[in-house]
Amino acid sequence: MAEKQRFVIKDLKKKFNNNVVLDGIDLTINEGDVLGVIGPSGTGKSTLLRCINQLEVPESGSIEIGESQIDLSNAKKSNLKNVTQLRQRTGMVFQRFNLFQKKTALENVMEGLITVQKKSKEEAREIALKELDRVGMTQWANHYPKHLSGGQQQRVAIARVLAMKPDLILMDEPTSALDPELVGEVLETIKQLAEEGHTMILVSHEMAFIRKVATRCIFLDHGKIVEDGTPKEVFTAPKQERTRDFLRKMSLLEEPEYVI
Amino acid sequence: MTGKIFDFKLVFTQIPDLLKYLPITMELAIASTVFGMLLGLLIAIIKIKKVKVLDKLATFYVSLVRGTPVLVQLYIAYFGVPMLLKYINQQTGSDLKVAAIPGFVYAVLALGFNQSAFDAEVFRAALLSVDKGQHEAAAAIGMTGWQSLRRIIIPEALSVALPSLGNSFINAIKGTSLAFTCAVVEMTAEGKILSGRNYRYFEVYVSLAIIYWAITILFEKILKFVEKKISIPEQVEQISPEELESLRSPKSKAKAYAANHKRLGGELAWQKNRGLS
Repeated sequence: MAEKQRFVIKDLKKKFNNNVVLDGIDLTINEGDVLGVIGPSGTGKSTLLRCINQLEVPESGSIEIGESQIDLSNAKKSNLKNVTQLRQRTGMVFQRFNLFQKKTALENVMEGLITVQKKSKEEAREIALKELDRVGMTQWANHYPKHLSGGQQQRVAIARVLAMKPDLILMDEPTSALDPELVGEVLETIKQLAEEGHTMILVSHEMAFIRKVATRCIFLDHGKIVEDGTPKEVFTAPKQERTRDFLRKMSLLEEPEYVI
Repeated sequence: MTGKIFDFKLVFTQIPDLLKYLPITMELAIASTVFGMLLGLLIAIIKIKKVKVLDKLATFYVSLVRGTPVLVQLYIAYFGVPMLLKYINQQTGSDLKVAAIPGFVYAVLALGFNQSAFDAEVFRAALLSVDKGQHEAAAAIGMTGWQSLRRIIIPEALSVALPSLGNSFINAIKGTSLAFTCAVVEMTAEGKILSGRNYRYFEVYVSLAIIYWAITILFEKILKFVEKKISIPEQVEQISPEELESLRSPKSKAKAYAANHKRLGGELAWQKNRGLS
């Protein structure tokens, strides 16, 4: 990667029936950014991520990755190649892990390498083991998702995303479905990714964590970006009343330290 | 002819004669099941994807087939298809050999169509039972719709569908006893012929009942085994450093494979098998 990759999202609009969820989002993400997305429930944080990798088709919007520009609102067959390309360059970590139930942890990580990237089984296994090692899950390589705790499943899911070498990792509330005592191990893994310089968009309610790990933070309300700045700016000196209001409700204006 | 009311011995001594026709029975059952399942899966996918026009047609087809007795369907196939071919010959001047089609084909078609309607519902329910997150996860790593269906969704749906599909197959085996309507001589038809000779109708049907029952028990056992085989094992041991090493080095592929499949359930079964042999 000689040049710095940039992701430019333009004019992203999404409605569910008559309910406007995203109301014209313009967002530029630089390589190495860890972008924390915060905001009240139902303001389109998850929808933003789901539109970026086309799990939802927005009414309008495009994304520019390096040279290529992809129309996100085009769900036609002719656009399928672009969509597949886009999905290969972005990785998604789901709230509910969504590991393939009938595959072992190892097979879960290998799956995309084999079917999408057309790698040989041996090569895929090697990469998969490396990624499982990174998230500390090698010992459980032969376990099925139902044998694993939520935290372990999420770590495997992260390994599955990392194995595909995405340019942009999307994390959709990765710790929201976890028991409180399991949140730490997943956050630790995400922190490690951030330190390794992965470009990420992190939607989360773990405000303290975002403050610690994110390089940039946006506050989303009613489908619009209300506040955009460094986590320190957003959390301690928000410019907008709505942001202050939100943080006050979360009683986060006085900052508790998150301990991992 | 002996004067016995019930010839107990005959029930067993004529079983070998009947079993000579078991291959035909099984061929009928397997062919119609394969045909019925493939068609059923296709119908299920059409209905789930809500393909225009075709899904309406599929609903109509399922309703029609489920709403008519299989015996009637067999007769319709046996008399209807030749009539259709004759009509086509008449209209187009073609020379389709109606008489050359063996009864076996009609029987397989009719039994297969009959099964497809039931299997379609089984597949539909099973496919819908797969969590939406599985589709999304597959899509998110860049798999195409077909890849995710083949590699992720169908294998998961199959575990759900298997017990019902097994039932469907067992029904198919028993359903073949109606194939005589299409002039196919399978086990039951042969039984009729035998009893026509010695007038021991009751004995022959008892023999047939025993045979069908035994086959059903056999397939129930096989089904149980397969179900267990494709289900996720209850327990898996943590991977040891040695196994990990063998997994890492692609050269010792066989070893790696063994280690990869070293699941507690599988291993126990394997040891047991070895003990038996």
